[in-house]
Amino acid sequence: MARQSKKKTTAASGARPRRSLTRRLLPYLLLIATAGAAVLALYMAHLDHQVRSKFEGTRWKLPAKVYASPLELYAGQDVSEKELITRLRRQGYRRAATIDETGTYNASGAGLALHTRDFQFWNGAQPDRKLRLGFDANGVSSLEAVDGKGDPALIRLDPQLIGSIYPNKGTDRILVKLGEVPPMLPAGLITVEDRHFMSNWGISPRGILRAAIADIKAGAIVQGGSTLTQQLVKNFYLDNQQTLSRKGKEALMAILLDAHYSKEEILEAYLNEVYLGQDGSRAIHGFGLASYFYFQKPVQELQPSEIALLVAMVKGPSYYNPRRHPERARKRRDLVLNMFHEAGFLKDDAWQAAKAKGLGVTSTAARGNTQYPAFIDLVKRQLKGQYKVEDLTEEGLRIFTTLNPTVQAVAQTRVAEGLSRVEQQRGIEADSLESAAVVTSVEGANVLALVGGREQGYAGFNRALDAERQIGSLMKPVDYLTAMMQPAKFNPITPLDDSPLAVKLATGKTWRPGNYSNRSHGENVPAYYALEHSLNIASSRLSLAVGIPNIIDTLDKLGYEGEAPAVPSLALGSVSMSPLEVAQIYNTIATGGYYTPLRAIKDVTTREGEPLNRYPLKLTQTVDAGPAYITTWMMERVARYGTGAGMYSIIDRSKTMAGKTGTTNNLRDAWFAGFGGNRLGVVWVGRDDNDSANLTGATGALPIWSHIMADINTRGIIDTPPDSITQVPLQLIFDPDAANQGAGTNPNRWFANGQNCSNAVKVPFIKGFVPQGLLNCDTDIMRVNAQQNQPAGDRGRAPRDQNNDQGSWFERIF
Amino acid sequence: MKRVPIVAALGLVMAGCASAPPDTRPRTPPAQPSPQSGQTQPLPPSQRQAPPEADRSRPAASRPSREPAATRKPAPPQQAAAVSSPAVMSLMGRADTLASGGHMDDAAATLERALDLEPRNAFIYQRLAAVRLAQGQPGQAEQLARKSNSVAGDNPFVEADNWKLIAEARRTAGDAKGASAASSKAVNYERATSQYSQ
Repeated sequence: MARQSKKKTTAASGARPRRSLTRRLLPYLLLIATAGAAVLALYMAHLDHQVRSKFEGTRWKLPAKVYASPLELYAGQDVSEKELITRLRRQGYRRAATIDETGTYNASGAGLALHTRDFQFWNGAQPDRKLRLGFDANGVSSLEAVDGKGDPALIRLDPQLIGSIYPNKGTDRILVKLGEVPPMLPAGLITVEDRHFMSNWGISPRGILRAAIADIKAGAIVQGGSTLTQQLVKNFYLDNQQTLSRKGKEALMAILLDAHYSKEEILEAYLNEVYLGQDGSRAIHGFGLASYFYFQKPVQELQPSEIALLVAMVKGPSYYNPRRHPERARKRRDLVLNMFHEAGFLKDDAWQAAKAKGLGVTSTAARGNTQYPAFIDLVKRQLKGQYKVEDLTEEGLRIFTTLNPTVQAVAQTRVAEGLSRVEQQRGIEADSLESAAVVTSVEGANVLALVGGREQGYAGFNRALDAERQIGSLMKPVDYLTAMMQPAKFNPITPLDDSPLAVKLATGKTWRPGNYSNRSHGENVPAYYALEHSLNIASSRLSLAVGIPNIIDTLDKLGYEGEAPAVPSLALGSVSMSPLEVAQIYNTIATGGYYTPLRAIKDVTTREGEPLNRYPLKLTQTVDAGPAYITTWMMERVARYGTGAGMYSIIDRSKTMAGKTGTTNNLRDAWFAGFGGNRLGVVWVGRDDNDSANLTGATGALPIWSHIMADINTRGIIDTPPDSITQVPLQLIFDPDAANQGAGTNPNRWFANGQNCSNAVKVPFIKGFVPQGLLNCDTDIMRVNAQQNQPAGDRGRAPRDQNNDQGSWFERIF
Repeated sequence: MKRVPIVAALGLVMAGCASAPPDTRPRTPPAQPSPQSGQTQPLPPSQRQAPPEADRSRPAASRPSREPAATRKPAPPQQAAAVSSPAVMSLMGRADTLASGGHMDDAAATLERALDLEPRNAFIYQRLAAVRLAQGQPGQAEQLARKSNSVAGDNPFVEADNWKLIAEARRTAGDAKGASAASSKAVNYERATSQYSQ
């Protein structure tokens, strides 16, 4: 770039006046000519300055690039070959006979051969590798190198580029260097767009003439006849008007550009500047980004048919949009392939093979920003306040997120499918329902997927973040968790009164919670049962006894940042939350009481890969492990035997899951929130106009939740009771519909086997707070236990102080 | 001020990594160097909270007729390698290298990567706790060590190490009393490990 400063003076102020000087001898003409030349010279100097300062000074504004979390490959990873191939294809990997090039794979019965791409991660560069993976029923069974560089224990696939952070109506691009694009790309461009590029002066007189004739014929400017240099000038410096004076300006600038800069420099600028498509309000510029936008892969990996398509599109990216007008695009691509062939850089067989190929563009579903608008929205919000808008939209930062594309795809599909199915099944107007879903990783609190609505890729109202809806019975686990924090008063079998309740409110009104079934379940419902079946009255009584302020305190501890109303109906979920907020509080329960703020971002680096910001795992135990464990145990029963039991028609029965349904007044909102060992999901279904959706949590949200959790192979919960928990095997016989609430006419029969009961369930209690006299193999009905007519001594029912609890247990052991 | 915990925490990280049998592991408990902890050496408080008794304090779960001695459980894992996949072991090895080279942020990030693979692996949390301690974040160190305990199940080996780490973290944070309480818990868990020695 050094040479242009010298050339400037000769090209701009030198050449032209001299030529005009030789024209006429007449003084006045000379005068006029000199004046005209001076004006032109000044104008040229002005243009020259414009051309140079822009070309050299332009650092392209590079929107931050957002990446999904990379797939880790290792022996033991529970990813099947089929799933892996789906993921590879989504990232633009292509099946090939050999894996000599990066971004290729080969599945050949004996496992999968794969050539990964190199990638600059937050902690350094990972080179490309050639690998072979074996699979068994559990997923990846072996991972070995086939490049002789040693077997890696694990390796990250390059992360999928999922979007950019660009200003409204902004342009987006990924810079490429001339030296790193396939040579066929610049050569093809020259062949198709500007055959004499290498020898012309930036303009092509013949082209202009041809265009002028066409324009005169049409009576307007219809044809460009532009060289690559002129096209670059047009894109670079000028607005989109087609006037004669602008054409002149364009030509002059093209000449200046050509005079100052090498053909290579101009070509490289062109590769990065050319407009190649539109993604909503985002303009796709340059081949680097277009390669991802259309083929989801780096430009280096483009195949001849793909290069030809991109070159073909230069003429009119919307007219030849391969997604919208595939036939038109294909016709022009084939034309371009013919030109490639004629020019000699495609041999006969390669030419035929390329023409036989489909367009190969990824579906609309798999392109940049519009695929994950809800998640990108969350990323932006988490970045807000930490970075200036210009930093995000201009500096080319790289943002590494927690999004798992596979989980996201599943969630999106299952939401759309589930809504259509339930609308059909229940005679609900088609497309009247809306939904939102969140999936997290439980430990680590990574947001793996976020669905903002049923229509994929629609960047509208983000319900996962912005639809604040009453949570209904999703609140109950918080009520019961708060109760379990008061172990002297509450445990899983504490009898609760479910008979009608009226509470005088401060407002003078009376609050009368009712059960969904419109009936009472008696005055002695064991607490676990009341949660299992989501009994409103029993739960309200429990909550009032626990204290609404204490419940609000628990909400805070779980990570809720809003203001919950301190009213009795809070017990039944009269607080509005977004699905993401629900995910946060449930995630804290799922981790055993360790609050971890939900994360969408893990790292931010500069364009070069220099780390800027990490978002490390931070956890704080805000809820004691014991109460969290008991609450989870009760939620497991909801899933197994209660309102959530429908999940096991979809999810493998051997997996222990925990969850809770939520339904609000007039069936406006249907919720399900729950978790397995390594995944947590929240699903909301309702209507945007807040009318009744005519769905309960179990009918509307649970099926979607279950399908998502099943599809993503959620692991079951591993039972690890904390030290503060003791488990008592009890016979859980309570049944409000059976004789004597399940105890039958002869309750003594439950005690016939003494402390030897194979049907017992281990019920968790906080250590030191097992109810006095409760023995192994008792029932869950305290009234029945108390009545049974064995000698008191045998049952050890002597009153004991709770502090002596451990002592007396010891006595019995020894 | 910062040097002591760094050295101690690294010691823990490295000790966890060592493949030497547990009995011969160099175990100068980090609890000892501080003179204050010596004053609280008498054991009465620790005996009350003695964790090994956890087993016996679950009478309802075990049948009264049973001899407690007869129910000798298999020893819980004492080394990360016993419960971790080769992938996780590789990441932990990398993290150890990074940590001993002073690259604590990278070590932590590498351990987080391991946690994404095995989110309930107590050994990973323990090492992350040690790294946080070395970074001068005693609060996070304690939380992570507690988390390690919560996923360790009944594993006095892991729990003893975690309580040592917590003691160190508390001492760093200036909580001498809390530190000695944690130390005595560590001692108790360590004692509980003896039930597994043949």
